Amino acid sequence: MERPEHNMELLCLEKDTVVRAQQDPNVFFDDRVLQSLLTIEERFLPRCPYFNHVQQDIKPFMRRMVATWMLEVCEEERCEEEVFPLAINYLDRYLEVVETKKGCLQLLGAVCLFLASKLKESRPLTAEKLCLYTDNSITSQELLDWELVVLGKLKWNMAAVTPHDFIEHILHKLPLPEDKLSLIRKHAQTFIALCATDFSFAMYPPSMIATGSVGAAVCGLQLDRTERALHGDNLSELLAKVTNTEVDCLKSCQEQIEQLLRSSLRESQEKQQRLEQEALNRAASKGVDTQSMSQSQSSTPTDVRDINL
Amino acid sequence: MAFHKRVLRSLGNGPARRNLFGPVDREQLQQDYHTALMQDLEEASRRWGFNFLTEKPLDEGDFLWEGVAGAKVPRVYRSSTLRKGLQCSVEPTSLSEAAVSTETGSTSAGAAPSPVQSGKENVPGTPERNTNSLRDLERTPEKRSANSNMLKRKQTNITDFYQAKRRVVGTPRKSGQ
Repeated sequence: MERPEHNMELLCLEKDTVVRAQQDPNVFFDDRVLQSLLTIEERFLPRCPYFNHVQQDIKPFMRRMVATWMLEVCEEERCEEEVFPLAINYLDRYLEVVETKKGCLQLLGAVCLFLASKLKESRPLTAEKLCLYTDNSITSQELLDWELVVLGKLKWNMAAVTPHDFIEHILHKLPLPEDKLSLIRKHAQTFIALCATDFSFAMYPPSMIATGSVGAAVCGLQLDRTERALHGDNLSELLAKVTNTEVDCLKSCQEQIEQLLRSSLRESQEKQQRLEQEALNRAASKGVDTQSMSQSQSSTPTDVRDINL
Repeated sequence: MAFHKRVLRSLGNGPARRNLFGPVDREQLQQDYHTALMQDLEEASRRWGFNFLTEKPLDEGDFLWEGVAGAKVPRVYRSSTLRKGLQCSVEPTSLSEAAVSTETGSTSAGAAPSPVQSGKENVPGTPERNTNSLRDLERTPEKRSANSNMLKRKQTNITDFYQAKRRVVGTPRKSGQ
């Protein structure tokens, strides 16, 4: 009679486990794979800044809005890291060739997420879920219709190279402390996502964004203090060699990423303070003890948004 | 707080579920959708020297088109071609697969799975069951362009159909038990 229980337990466990293949050394430790990626990556890049040439209605800040929303959906749905940059690649390539009204932009973002998720995930995002995230401003049928349109415009070239494809290759070639690897990877992935939200990175080759992100992660974690080979210029040269990039290009890319990070963190902080202030004002007007509230907020800053909801 | 949370929060804007740019102009959207698909189709026609709506080779083009019996083509290709035609809603081409399964059903007592319920999300609408379409399917483009009226009456492709039927009946046995 114990059996059924065991089965149930097993099912429950399976439900939330993402089955992940082990890293294949034949793929990640083989230089030919890296060289192939470097050869084909340019094929999937948007070629012109479409805001000047193609788009009339859509402005850079709107791309940022839709990219931000897409990233939030990915975060909330715990999508694979590659899904977001890949979807942004689709979006940019589509906007490069088709003039689009801003009213369609969110639909387009949803379609790109839909496609990227199908390509990269074993359990892809469903159409209904994506429609829900647009607050049902689009229908599933529209999503499916436009999926075809986007596929056609991108000529069904969906397996674009993303910066993530390079991360393991790069990490493998750096003398990094084993215990810091996953942290560096996580930080680099965050930088890649951050870059995807910013149009100034849209036409950079993925390999450069990847090297820049790893560089920024290694510097940011101050690993250069213990390992000489990771120190400043040494690191840049090492990274440049991995992806055959010019050292100067790489350096400037890394600087741009660090700058973007700084401004993001600043914005994040300002936003946080604004939210806290708003919460405090609201609480004060209701006559709540603001002293204790401000304390609890500063210790658990993430909860502020929940309070507002 | 996790590093990436702190970084990405700067971008955040409240709940992820939100409408970014106000109401969508549905009519315009539908119109744009059809225009875009037609554009794609025209482009493909030019590229391949083939009119995909009438399923006839174009006079000028880089390719010489040659007819192949429909049943010799893997099913995947047959259905998608016809679905594409259906989607563009220019020609009332009905889904061939439905026809195939209808015919098969009569002989194999419904053992064959209906390919219409293939579980694909991107199949627009429910295809009508139309036995006539089987002939459309089995006819080859070459012959069609030559004397399509005659072919509609002739049962030239009965052997092709037999092949197709056999495959359909065989499928569940392979995967089932």
